[in-house]
Amino acid sequence: MKADTALAVSGVRVSFPDGRHERVVLDRLDLEIAAGELVVVSGQSGAGKSTLLAVAGLLRRPDSGEVTIAGISARGLSQRQRTALRRDHIAFVYQSANLLPSLTAIEQLELVGHIHRERSTEARRRALALLDEIDMADRADQLPSQLSGGERQRVGIARALMATPSVLIADEPTASLDPARAEVVTNLLAAAATKHAIATLVVAHDTIALDRANRHLILDAGRLREVGS
Amino acid sequence: MFLALRDLRRGARRFMLLGVVIALVAVLSTVLSGLATGLVTDGISGLRALPFEHLAFQRGADATFSRSTLRPAALEKFEALSGVEATEVGSSFVNAASMDGGPSLDLALFGLSADSFLVERPEARAALADTPGLVLASELRDEGVEVGDRYSLGGSNLVLPVVGFTFAGTYGHAPIAFTSLATWQQIQFGSGADGRYSAIALRGGSNDALDAAASATETDVLTKEAAFGGSPGYTAETTTMSLIRGFLLVISALVIGAFFTVLTVQRTRQIGLLKAMGASNGYVLRDGIGQMAILVSAATLGGVAIGCALVLAVGRTKAPVELNVASVATVALSLIVAGVGGSLVAFRRVTQIEPAIALGVEP
Ligand SMILES: Nc1ncnc2c1ncn2[C@@H]1O[C@H](COP(=O)(O)OP(=O)(O)OP(=O)(O)O)[C@@H](O)[C@H]1O
Ligand SMILES: [Mg+2]
Repeated sequence: MKADTALAVSGVRVSFPDGRHERVVLDRLDLEIAAGELVVVSGQSGAGKSTLLAVAGLLRRPDSGEVTIAGISARGLSQRQRTALRRDHIAFVYQSANLLPSLTAIEQLELVGHIHRERSTEARRRALALLDEIDMADRADQLPSQLSGGERQRVGIARALMATPSVLIADEPTASLDPARAEVVTNLLAAAATKHAIATLVVAHDTIALDRANRHLILDAGRLREVGS
Repeated sequence: MFLALRDLRRGARRFMLLGVVIALVAVLSTVLSGLATGLVTDGISGLRALPFEHLAFQRGADATFSRSTLRPAALEKFEALSGVEATEVGSSFVNAASMDGGPSLDLALFGLSADSFLVERPEARAALADTPGLVLASELRDEGVEVGDRYSLGGSNLVLPVVGFTFAGTYGHAPIAFTSLATWQQIQFGSGADGRYSAIALRGGSNDALDAAASATETDVLTKEAAFGGSPGYTAETTTMSLIRGFLLVISALVIGAFFTVLTVQRTRQIGLLKAMGASNGYVLRDGIGQMAILVSAATLGGVAIGCALVLAVGRTKAPVELNVASVATVALSLIVAGVGGSLVAFRRVTQIEPAIALGVEP
């Protein structure tokens, strides 16, 4: 493992029961992402991309193998310890922004501060700064129902950054946006990865994402294969 | 409860229905509590006001005056105990028909001797010692009965004048009335009373000494509270009220439990999201149950306030309702506890939600 590796997945295997047999979705899979690196993974539907993200984000335990986040191995941790590790080092961006309907844009971010037991004045200050970074400071008090799809997704990214993560995981964050808005969102993710030195793992298929990526991997038959160089 | 408070504020309409149901249960519980307190007062306030500590009834009389007849020998045994004051009490329900064309009265008539420790005020002693007459509960004065009015007492051919009024009190839902023990004996037994009376009122003395005297005289010695049970309807009324209030508590716990379970199911994805963000089970539970606690407390307090207003309004009529701060507080508190307890049924449902569903993958 290199010194600046923020996310390391090694020898991970995940299988699901499939009738009388079992279906191996991830098969002795390895992946390392350095701080500040943007890695895009693509692959056919059902290839196991979301499953990989769930394992890498400590949302599901693999059958075997090891996931290491910011130098801390998640193997053998209790559920409670995994939750704490996730809270302190991992953030997610979802396909639909997954905002909480009863919170305004800034409160979506402040909630992260609350979960992290941050002082509320400090949380508010950082939340405003992050909204400003995504050009949404003037929409801080809008509810999700008052925002467009692209705006929601931008708030979703700001919310992920609010957690000051070592690892950011995004599952098809632009799939429901038109190309122009998709480009804005992808640029934001790429800029955040560099600026905040976040190891970023994105599932995407579009050319803009592939363009911004430091590396492009294809998930096929349970393994990751590097494309180009 | 960062999320819970904002969710309550911005989603108020979703919580309205539950709030109204809980408030109505609280109104009903408060009114019932007022009725229960009122009925107790109406049932035994006359007896409660008398300054005794125990009552001795004929064995097996079940604290009921009409089933208990004692003889002078029993009284002597209790009087012989040191530190014990003992006095005969005659008690029966009588109908008093006005000789002056007024309405007839149902009375809980007590016969006391003028030197009894139960008779504390000098003018009351004088009233009982003089020529036979009736001392009535003061509320009858408010109904137009006056000193000097004459009443024929049912079951005897005795006619007695009203000689005065005493405190407002009832027993078995009838206003109390006092007369001398001798007069009561004449009403009850005619000329063959033979010194008989209903029960012995006692003050002072150790439980052991009273128990010994009780077995020697074949009587049951009961505390004042236990003696209330003999008031007609008292036990049935209090158990019915407790039963209804218990049911209301169970109903509100179930309603809140069901609501919170549905809410949790609706929020499954949101809870998964919170957990993916690193919120612990404790965080999510505090938020959800805290939200229910706030909602239930607000609705309950609102309902209790309305209930109290209703009780006070109804209390101006002659209905037997009465506000008792302690029992209203108990109603409010137990409703809130039942509500929060009810929401615990979703405890496992919350803790079992997997954070992975936030990504849309089944774990
Ligand atoms: N809980 C589960 N039980 C059984 N099979 C599952 C479960 N979760 C995922 N699978 C299977 O694992 C495979 C990979 O699923 P996954 O969601 O990771 O695919 P994906 O690459 O993200 O697909 P898509 O591009 O459509 O989102 C699929 O065949 C899916 O049916
Ligand atoms: Mg997927």
